[in-house]
Amino acid sequence: MGTPFEQVMVSEEWEETDLSLLETLDHVLNRGLVIAGEITISVADIDLIFLGLNVMVSSVETAREVLSKRETE
Amino acid sequence: MKLYAYCLASGIDTLYEPVQGISAARVRLLKTEDLGVLVSDFDADTVPVTRENALAHAAVVRSVLDKTTPLPFRFGTLVNELQLRNYISTHKDAIDTKLKHVSECVEMSVKIIRDVSADSQREPLEKYQDNEQGIGAMFLAEKRREIIGDERRAAQAAELSAWLRESLHGLIRDEQVTVRPGEKLVLSAAFLVEMVKFGPYREKVAQICAERPDLHFLLSGPWPPYSFAGLELEFKSQFGVS
Amino acid sequence: MELSPKTPLPAEPAIETSHVEEFVEQLRCVTDTLPSRINIDAQSVEQGLAKLVLTLIEFIRRLLEKQAVRRMEGGDLSPEQIEELGLALMRLEAKLQELKTQFRLADEELNLDLGPIGRLI
Repeated sequence: MGTPFEQVMVSEEWEETDLSLLETLDHVLNRGLVIAGEITISVADIDLIFLGLNVMVSSVETAREVLSKRETE
Repeated sequence: MKLYAYCLASGIDTLYEPVQGISAARVRLLKTEDLGVLVSDFDADTVPVTRENALAHAAVVRSVLDKTTPLPFRFGTLVNELQLRNYISTHKDAIDTKLKHVSECVEMSVKIIRDVSADSQREPLEKYQDNEQGIGAMFLAEKRREIIGDERRAAQAAELSAWLRESLHGLIRDEQVTVRPGEKLVLSAAFLVEMVKFGPYREKVAQICAERPDLHFLLSGPWPPYSFAGLELEFKSQFGVS
Repeated sequence: MELSPKTPLPAEPAIETSHVEEFVEQLRCVTDTLPSRINIDAQSVEQGLAKLVLTLIEFIRRLLEKQAVRRMEGGDLSPEQIEELGLALMRLEAKLQELKTQFRLADEELNLDLGPIGRLI
């Protein structure tokens, strides 16, 4: 199946100018309860060996591309 | 098959209306101990941050706010059922305390932008600056000026934070205030406000915004208590091995 | 608008500001707090470590600058000493800049978020 490590990806095309969405994102992305990831060794927020965030930031088209590419690997 | 977890809540037996979550999956209530968790099925490894998903997450968490105040999970919380149940039973006491702390409350946000054009004003030249100085001494003189500027801005930001909190004293149950002295977005605050004090809170905020025409405000809410859900639990996970 | 536990809440949170573009500009950084491209390969582990080490050095470097300025203000340093101190700190700043470039780290990346305590730098 997939790798045991989740991947986090930020696309340069992320461009959002809707204030209401940005403010919503500031609440749902930066705050809230966090359940530790599967393998987590971190010092403050520098992740040396693991990844615990299952979040990917990109435009929808890129997301579809990446996810389908990964499935064929 | 993984679960996408939206929030924890007590006092919910069933979901009264069907709710759609991430990737249009149906949201259901998973019960464990005496709590309910809103979850939906999710079968990929990552959750794309898209408009639809962000709004779906927010909508699901909000959907229970009419009945009870939930503890929202962060966007992108993917777990399997066992992990979820373990997490809850391990942290049961802290969760119960937190639920009690946020009960009957909503979160209101205040963000403040200040004018930074005044920053380019340089501190007056003093005795440390003269034409006969070497490069090293000039470097230190410049640093001194920068440091004084930083200290001034930090004091201003702290004063702003104190002003805001004192003005709202008595109307808020809890607060989370972040200041970033060097930046335009100098202050970002979340307040836990009891629902019965919502009206007076809004009036007071409107009043104090008018007192400071030199500042730019962004007010938003009511939100479920995103900023008051995670704290100590998260702090621990930031420093620990798990 | 009054809210009580029995009053129905508005469907969406209200957002009020007279300065939409400014806040849009500032809030776009919302997604910047997410780590960008972390892969499990040797190069990234090295970079993660470099980030941590350089952050600590940067923190100490700033403390050194502050101390130097204080000594200078204190008046117990000769002009030659001030010049030497300044030159050494200049070199340190330049060296750190070099290292940042070498590891492809931006200024904003050299920071530690200590949760409720705030950021280190």
